[in-house]
Amino acid sequence: MVAFGFLDWLWIVLYLLIMVSAGVLFYRLGRRSESDFFLAGRGLPWWLPAASVYATHTATDTPMWVSGVIYRHGLAGLWYSFFAGWCAISAFVSTRIFRRSLAYTQAEWNTVRFSGLGAELLRGWMSGWQVFMSMFILGWVGIAMGKVCQYVFGWPTWIGLVVFSSVCAVYVMAAGYWGVIMADFLQGVVAFAVILIVSVWGVVAAGGPSAIVSRLEEMGEGWRLNPLAFSGWFTGDFPIAWFVTMLFIALLGGFGMGTSIDWYVEAQRIQSARTVRDASYSIWWGTALVLMRNSIWAVAILGFYVLYPRIPDTADYEMAWFRIGFDYLPAGMLGFFFAGIIAIHISTISAVLNLGAMYFTRDLYLHYWKQTASERELVWVGRVATLVLLVGSFFYGLIMEEITSWLIFALWIMAAGVWLPNILQVVWWRFNAWGYLASWIANLGLSWLVVWVLPSFGLLPELPDYQQFWVLMVLGALIYLPITFLTKPDDMDQLVRYYVMSRPIGWWGPVRREAERRGLLRPEAR
Amino acid sequence: MAWIRRTWTPAAADEWTREDWYTIVISPLAYILLMVGVALSLLLFPAGFAVLGLGILATLLMHWIIDPKLKVISGEYEKKQRQYLEELERAARWKETGHG
Repeated sequence: MVAFGFLDWLWIVLYLLIMVSAGVLFYRLGRRSESDFFLAGRGLPWWLPAASVYATHTATDTPMWVSGVIYRHGLAGLWYSFFAGWCAISAFVSTRIFRRSLAYTQAEWNTVRFSGLGAELLRGWMSGWQVFMSMFILGWVGIAMGKVCQYVFGWPTWIGLVVFSSVCAVYVMAAGYWGVIMADFLQGVVAFAVILIVSVWGVVAAGGPSAIVSRLEEMGEGWRLNPLAFSGWFTGDFPIAWFVTMLFIALLGGFGMGTSIDWYVEAQRIQSARTVRDASYSIWWGTALVLMRNSIWAVAILGFYVLYPRIPDTADYEMAWFRIGFDYLPAGMLGFFFAGIIAIHISTISAVLNLGAMYFTRDLYLHYWKQTASERELVWVGRVATLVLLVGSFFYGLIMEEITSWLIFALWIMAAGVWLPNILQVVWWRFNAWGYLASWIANLGLSWLVVWVLPSFGLLPELPDYQQFWVLMVLGALIYLPITFLTKPDDMDQLVRYYVMSRPIGWWGPVRREAERRGLLRPEAR
Repeated sequence: MAWIRRTWTPAAADEWTREDWYTIVISPLAYILLMVGVALSLLLFPAGFAVLGLGILATLLMHWIIDPKLKVISGEYEKKQRQYLEELERAARWKETGHG
């Protein structure tokens, strides 16, 4: 437990008051329309969604994750956080294409890109999945805050889970995305300042940069300073084969939509930007800040390693950055540190609350339930959905320990086998709704087989995760590619309309020629 | 012909051109250099400052290449956005849309 003084509590109370007042201040803007409640009226300059990209990529469990991989792998652990690198290409490819589609959500994009029953099945599936995922992520992040509060104050975990998510829900319900984005900007600034101050403090506590380097070399662990300290081609903790697979997944994934779980939340930031250019820069700069932030953390964790080497228990060394803050900051600064942790926490909570509510309101309520709903009604549905997600997240958070391993597996199976289809849907005109739907269904079955069932019967060796990725990618393609070719292409009217509006990259020749034939595009512009 | 085109017509900017491909290559490189450069610079390695400097240069170059094109794409698209939004709203509410 950590002892807080008056000044510490003052920091926390002031911070919470400022956050809630963001909801009150932007209440009038948020209630104007569905577009305001979920996309801030599509009028934001690039630096506001960029701050939100940064803030939402910084959750309570992020310092635990980064601490864990750096403590274990040294600077090479930075590559485990480089999956965010999908934004490098996405910012100038899929972000541009998605922004031009104007779809509120990825589920809605399915009915802009594809046509007919297949498109509707995709939209229904994806919106339901995203509502569920939002609730799950809220529970996951919420319980991480519960654990931090237990570490700091000795509270039962449910208190940290319920209290801070509830405070956050006040401004999300009041002002919708306007509240989220404005609070995210403030939270981004506070969180970055706290990360910087605490990390520098940690480095100083370890004797400074030079002392960290010399101490690691004295310990015979100088390899921790090498970001490319590979353990072999295919062997050890950090093989080159893993590194190449990671770069392949992270970077080429930027050509697609949904290749990273973060795509769905960033898609909302993309649509809230006022122009295509603002959307591109918001994604690029928000992520650049995330990657540089991870580097700052990494050096602090190396300092922690020098102070506390060879801790065997993962749960202990994952708390490294929090321990630096609580063990080394002086009285009066602890409250500032905790306010920063609150900022890190509720920026993610607010973003996911509003995102899940948007999928429910736009894709399920409006599109499938009540097509005549007024703007005012949609805002209220958004508020009620936010509340339901909040309560649902408490349920998930409290049973998280029991279901985490299953759900991590579920996340994995939702990512590996559909990685390539998520790209094909963007770059290849002939890839249709049935092929994409088949890839999701095939992946569900194949993942169980490759990861659990076949290894348990000895029919397949237990493969490292990066090898599972390649196996699932190939096996899935053997199913969805034939289905794509055996079913009709999507309706040409729909494809032409989508092409002219979004101008996708890749293999769109027949659609392009049809658009030119109809006089919608000029051949000389090619 | 210039290696990098800096002035664009709206129709030409809407196409995928070599400027986009230069950006697609430089952008990941900039991320890697910035990430590794910040970590090594904080440890006061001279090579870290060099890597960070290269990362900043790559970032500036990327913006110099793609920004004129993005400005034109954005300006042109905004003129059509209202009509597209109306179509999107009609589709969301299951009303007839003007195909093709």
